[in-house]
Amino acid sequence: MMEDFEFFEHTADVGVRVTGKTLNELFANSSKALFKLLVDSPLKQNKKREIQLEAQTLEELLVNWLNELLSIFFAEKFLPLEYNIRIEDNPQSKNIRGVILGEEFNPYENKINMEIKAATYHNLRVEHNRDGYTAEVIFDV
Amino acid sequence: MAMSWSGTFEKIAEYKFKIPRHYKPGMRVDGIIYADERLLASIKKDNAPEQVANVAFLPGIVKYSLAMPDIHWGYGFSIGGVCATDPASEGVISPGGVGYDINCGVRMLSTSLTLEDIKDRISKIVDALYQNIPSGVGSKGQIRVSYQEEKRVLLEGARWAVSRGFGIKDDLESCEEYGAIEDADPDSVSERAYERGKPQCGTLGSGNHFLEVQVVEDIFDRSIAEKLGLSIGQITVMIHSGSRGFGYQVCDDSLKMMGKCISKYAINVPDRQLACAPINSPEAKAYIGAMRAAANYAWANRQILMHLTRQSFEKVFSKSWQSFGMNLIYDVAHNIAKFEKHMIDGREKTLCIHRKGATRAFGPGNPALPSKYRDIGQPVIIPGDMGTASYLLVGTNQAEEESFASTCHGAGRLKSRHEALRTISFESLIKELKSKGIEVRATGKKTIVEEAPSAYKDVNEVVEVVHQAGLSKKVCRMRPLCVVKG
Repeated sequence: MMEDFEFFEHTADVGVRVTGKTLNELFANSSKALFKLLVDSPLKQNKKREIQLEAQTLEELLVNWLNELLSIFFAEKFLPLEYNIRIEDNPQSKNIRGVILGEEFNPYENKINMEIKAATYHNLRVEHNRDGYTAEVIFDV
Repeated sequence: MAMSWSGTFEKIAEYKFKIPRHYKPGMRVDGIIYADERLLASIKKDNAPEQVANVAFLPGIVKYSLAMPDIHWGYGFSIGGVCATDPASEGVISPGGVGYDINCGVRMLSTSLTLEDIKDRISKIVDALYQNIPSGVGSKGQIRVSYQEEKRVLLEGARWAVSRGFGIKDDLESCEEYGAIEDADPDSVSERAYERGKPQCGTLGSGNHFLEVQVVEDIFDRSIAEKLGLSIGQITVMIHSGSRGFGYQVCDDSLKMMGKCISKYAINVPDRQLACAPINSPEAKAYIGAMRAAANYAWANRQILMHLTRQSFEKVFSKSWQSFGMNLIYDVAHNIAKFEKHMIDGREKTLCIHRKGATRAFGPGNPALPSKYRDIGQPVIIPGDMGTASYLLVGTNQAEEESFASTCHGAGRLKSRHEALRTISFESLIKELKSKGIEVRATGKKTIVEEAPSAYKDVNEVVEVVHQAGLSKKVCRMRPLCVVKG
């Protein structure tokens, strides 16, 4: 899976521009970018977690996805590493389903790099172009 | 850097600039920014004025969408934004108008110590504080709370902390809402928020949160300073923190819920982050109950942080904190929505006041103030950056009349965190602070650089604007001696 993202600046916050050939890649790469900000080189994959989310738009689904993972990270101490996910882009509803592999990681015992409060809806974009998908998300830090 | 704003302002008074309602179709009221020409130039460098205009779309907004001189681009609402909505005119409440860090706020303590008393022990003090106070990203508190006890935290705020021995009853009188806002609803809070709240009660956090020992270096209003027991050379302490992961989770849960309200209640807002619901709707009720629970969590948090601060001083001086008069002057919330009575066109109305990076500034005589402050007005605490200064102000009757009793909340960010990291070196920054006699302890070098003084607007300038505009009155300025950062 291609890993492709770059961070950009925003007065009080941090933004990320992500690409992916498919929606599945785009969502996985977005999460990789988020956890790249939080944790240095994760180690092992010893846990599995199922995930299922639904939203009305792809943008909303992306923010829900990132905030769900952030929330799971802090509440369940689960650090996601690999994504076996499938995004369905239906006209009426968008959903994501799949399994995430990760490791047990206690953010209250181990070092994390920065405080990210949430992925925001602000200036949020998900675009489909010739090469695949691009998204921009701003994190409130 | 974010794109600059291309609109134009109309100067309507000294320190007041208007974005007229016709700037953008859909605005229900004008936008007004308090600033001087110099600050305005930096405000225009990012798109924050557009956010002031966007907030003017909110149903039920009263009079104008306001911004304080420390305004900078946030998400949805600008940081430094104030908006009042009327529940009786289909007014809405918006979690974006409060922010993720619900009841982020500041408290300030006085002491009877002088610079002379502590100048040889500053390193010891900052080391003791750094050791005793959990700080940094994801830091874990020393206090473990059960689910049942966390529920009490959410209902009783700082009162819970005092009942557990973290401070004394007198502290509560010196807190906005006396340390706990009424009608918090712990049942409107998700399991995840409980889970995230459990390990973090009594932690400072990271980013712009800090704990500082300061010295009073300038006094502007002698009689009020005297009433507050402050004089030049005196040592004070300032604590800046909020509701930690608990508040972030409550905000995120609520935004998800309210995203659906935009179509359900046919609300027209130009930014998804302005998701909102009519104040009388079940969704708004759930948010208000949960937001208040998070606000109480934050008051408990700052109360514990103050207790740990007092303990640290006791350790260094081998005396009880009472013996050097470490009393709480006041505690203010600067990210919150509250129902308050305000006079609108000669009639008293109960309005929902959103303060997102803005401080309540009740003037003299306001019945919400404890009797000891009723003649001077509410203490307003303005933290500056760690190399410059912080201020103590008091609220005014003019603020009650024209800004829904609101004023600024800090210096306001100027450079992005990335830009700070790129342009400021850790070594030169520490050297610069040291030359000013300021000692810093932090878990990460990065945080210090991101929070460098040059990343912020000049707090002196920001405070001068709210003082000159009459939204609050300068009492004294404090210079930092040592700082604990996350």
